Amino acid sequence: MIDRRLIENIDFKFFSLVIILFIIGVINLFSASVYRLEDGLNFTPFFIKQSIWGLIGFFALLSSLFIDYRHLKYISIYFYGVSIGCLLAVFKFGKIVYGARRWIDLRFFSFQPSEMAKIATLILVAYLLSKTEGVLSKKDFFKISCIGLIPSFLIMKQPDLGTALLLLLIIGGMIFYKGIQKRLVKIIVFLFPLILPLFWFFLHDYQKERILNFLDPSRDPLGAGYHVIQSQIAIGSGRLWGKGFLAGSQSQLRFLPEKHTDFAFAVFAEEWGFMGTIFLLFLFCFFLYSILQIAFQAKDAFGRYLVVGIFFYFFWQIVINMGMVLGLMPVVGVPLPFISYGGTSLIINFILVGLVINVGMRRFIFKKI
Amino acid sequence: MNLLKPKINWEADYSSKILVLLVFFVVFVFGVRLWFLQILKGEYFAKKSLDNRTRIVKVYAPRGLILDREKKLLAFNEPAYDLAIIREDCKDKDCKEELDSISILLKKDLTELKEKFFTGKKRVKVFEPLILSTNLSFPELAKIESRLYKWPALKIVVRPRRKYNYAYALSHVLGYVSLASEEDLSNDLNLDPGDYIGKSGIEKSYEDILRGKKGKKKLEIDAVGRVFKESLIELPQPGKDLFLSIDLELQNYIYHLLEGKAGAVVVLEPETGQILALVSSPGYDLNRFVFGVKEKEWKSWLKHPFHPLQNKVIQGTYPPGSVFKLVMAGFFLNRLSLDPLESVFCSGDYKLGLRVFRCWRKEGHGWVNLKRALVESCDVYFYKQGEGLDIDELKSFVVASGFSRLTLIDLPYEKAGFFPSKEWKRKRFREGWQKGENLNISIGQGYVLVTPLQVAKFVAGIVNNGITYKPSLLLKEKKMFPETLPFSQKSLEFIRRAMIETVENDRGTARSLKERGIVIGAKTGTAQVVKLKEEDLEKEVEEIPYKYRDHAWMASFGVINQKKYVVVCLMEHGGHGASGSGPIVKKIYTYLKQKNDR
Repeated sequence: MIDRRLIENIDFKFFSLVIILFIIGVINLFSASVYRLEDGLNFTPFFIKQSIWGLIGFFALLSSLFIDYRHLKYISIYFYGVSIGCLLAVFKFGKIVYGARRWIDLRFFSFQPSEMAKIATLILVAYLLSKTEGVLSKKDFFKISCIGLIPSFLIMKQPDLGTALLLLLIIGGMIFYKGIQKRLVKIIVFLFPLILPLFWFFLHDYQKERILNFLDPSRDPLGAGYHVIQSQIAIGSGRLWGKGFLAGSQSQLRFLPEKHTDFAFAVFAEEWGFMGTIFLLFLFCFFLYSILQIAFQAKDAFGRYLVVGIFFYFFWQIVINMGMVLGLMPVVGVPLPFISYGGTSLIINFILVGLVINVGMRRFIFKKI
Repeated sequence: MNLLKPKINWEADYSSKILVLLVFFVVFVFGVRLWFLQILKGEYFAKKSLDNRTRIVKVYAPRGLILDREKKLLAFNEPAYDLAIIREDCKDKDCKEELDSISILLKKDLTELKEKFFTGKKRVKVFEPLILSTNLSFPELAKIESRLYKWPALKIVVRPRRKYNYAYALSHVLGYVSLASEEDLSNDLNLDPGDYIGKSGIEKSYEDILRGKKGKKKLEIDAVGRVFKESLIELPQPGKDLFLSIDLELQNYIYHLLEGKAGAVVVLEPETGQILALVSSPGYDLNRFVFGVKEKEWKSWLKHPFHPLQNKVIQGTYPPGSVFKLVMAGFFLNRLSLDPLESVFCSGDYKLGLRVFRCWRKEGHGWVNLKRALVESCDVYFYKQGEGLDIDELKSFVVASGFSRLTLIDLPYEKAGFFPSKEWKRKRFREGWQKGENLNISIGQGYVLVTPLQVAKFVAGIVNNGITYKPSLLLKEKKMFPETLPFSQKSLEFIRRAMIETVENDRGTARSLKERGIVIGAKTGTAQVVKLKEEDLEKEVEEIPYKYRDHAWMASFGVINQKKYVVVCLMEHGGHGASGSGPIVKKIYTYLKQKNDR
């Protein structure tokens, strides 16, 4: 059923790296779930939930290893279709949270179709890219672009700008890796500045606010600029060695907004200081590098594009989240993999890690399926 | 195996190379950014984080109480509700919306509010309450309270406010507090906008003792401003209570005697210097000042012919009239070695060259010696004896007797009065001292101005064997700054006897004071030159305004059950001393005796 060689070829370094990141994430969430009141420290149960999600994700990862990733090729188009269907269903049945319709409630648990769409699109694009030889032709480029744009547009309408942007960036990264015709590059370079201002009109007021506040956080220090300022205070006040575990005043006194989700890294930076953040940064660097290594060692094109897609999936999330928390980018609600709280995203992260391992461990199998 | 293990082909695969470089580039950028935030600017952000969660708040110290000698409450504190704004919690930087809504809600002038806001802004930190409106009424309070949820920046601040009992009778003793002005704030860094400060009376002179010291409270707060930890860093030091030597009952009684008239009465204990009553009529409502007096009201008080804001006991300067004969008698006896039995004939007037100086009694007193001249207040006797005096010599004697200088009473804005000298005359009028002026000065007219308190202190010295003390308003202060009058004991005894005879002799000018069971000595005075104010002496003679009715003086002492009192009364434009001030002084002695018998 499962070859001994497969187990031997599992990249255990990569695997343990993921586990370390996850454990750091849970420990950090434990601290982020503490808030101080008159009677001392109190907890909210985020970290317990996250551990449970992690465990589920871990088993999902393990079980995914049994299936050869190459089967995904053949179901990718159906998976994509279902995802688009779910995205459309959200508009009708979705539950509104914070003014956006992102969730479908399945009574025992709710999930975000946008997360599923991201993965489905990624797999389909990887498959389509693997079918073409050499650089991408104009026709294929437009075909693949459309496959990426349809779910992006639907997600943006929810509205969830962060996820839509993330999806476009992932597909863009994959196309970039594949390479396109020089003429096409010229056209894109020429058209891009013309399209960019149009984007402004698609944005919601709060999104415009965020971009303006990124450019000048002191514009509205207690309003939209608050996140950025407080996040930088939290990070900066950690200094070299940090304030210590469970001692971050910015997070415990709730000056730091969204501290268990988007700004979890700021909590970590406050308590562990420069030493901690550099360590975490190197872990992520190593994590991404390991994914790339597996991608380049994959035995077939589909596997390579799949892992490159997953690489971009993690890469952009890390870039956008850290860039935002560090005040280098506008505030966009994108979680930091394994560090931010969130069940759906954690399980998906584990499954994607599983896929990467899957590709890596099957690099010597040439048997046709 | 080696052949099977594919390696990354760096040369061939540009895209792969770029991806790896991309990762390193991003990690480098983030690493630099983290170094910048956490190492380079770490200290700055650490301080910001501390500022974020701690606020230092001032804790009000209650102002000291003021009580009378029998521990009756004169000035105390009651809770007052002020409207304050916390700039940090405003919707915009200049709190525009909040100020607009306050202006509408409380019907207050917006420009005035803004002015308060912008002057306060310089001194009050962003997270401290800036007082915009003080002393809210209950309807105003209700209006604001019900809307506080809409305006998180607005805060109702409860703090102690001054309240005065017997605000009219004690107005010139207690003085008042009012909101610290811009000037006060720049002079005293311990003051914050919206603080009260003593502006006159005891409240001003004992500001340091009464005010106390604000404490400091450290608040640890969370992001929504909720306080979760409070710790006192500095305890507030409440102001100390003051016990006055004032006898409230006596003060009130005298104030009612003076009602509707302009005048001043001071009652003191000659043996200690303590003041039992200090009344200047009319008084004014001290409590009005705590709430802030409008300019119109203030001006109407200033224009009032009775000058309610003036403390006539220490700020009213009047010619002493015949009361000054007590000083002159001392001068004659101690400096000119006058034989008190030497007689002078009074025909009703006295000729000096071509000028005629009149005695108040047209028909004259006949032959009078010093004692009779005092008892019946014969002017001619003093003209004759004073004609040849040296004004500078007299001045040094007068100043030694406590005139033309401050009595050092613990009230602000005391006036010194005036006494001329040759040099002053020369400088002022470019002419020498005239003999005729000697005559005028001898009966307390001309260029001499005294305050009722100076007279009281002087009379106290006569009673107390020549020792005078600083007139004191604090119960614990007794026999402060003793001074000796330039009078021999013999001359003091002589003057005391003359004053007693002025009351007891049927021809004495103060015979109306005669009261069974009390030994009273007195000297009347009728100040003929009206309203010759101290500042008028600086003007040209022609400019000095003339008024036609005289001031009535009565300087007296009384002994009741071996306890000595000095009572000095001056009624502005009260006519003759005996008729204008006499009845009031008599009632005071009657009252004192009744109180003593009780």
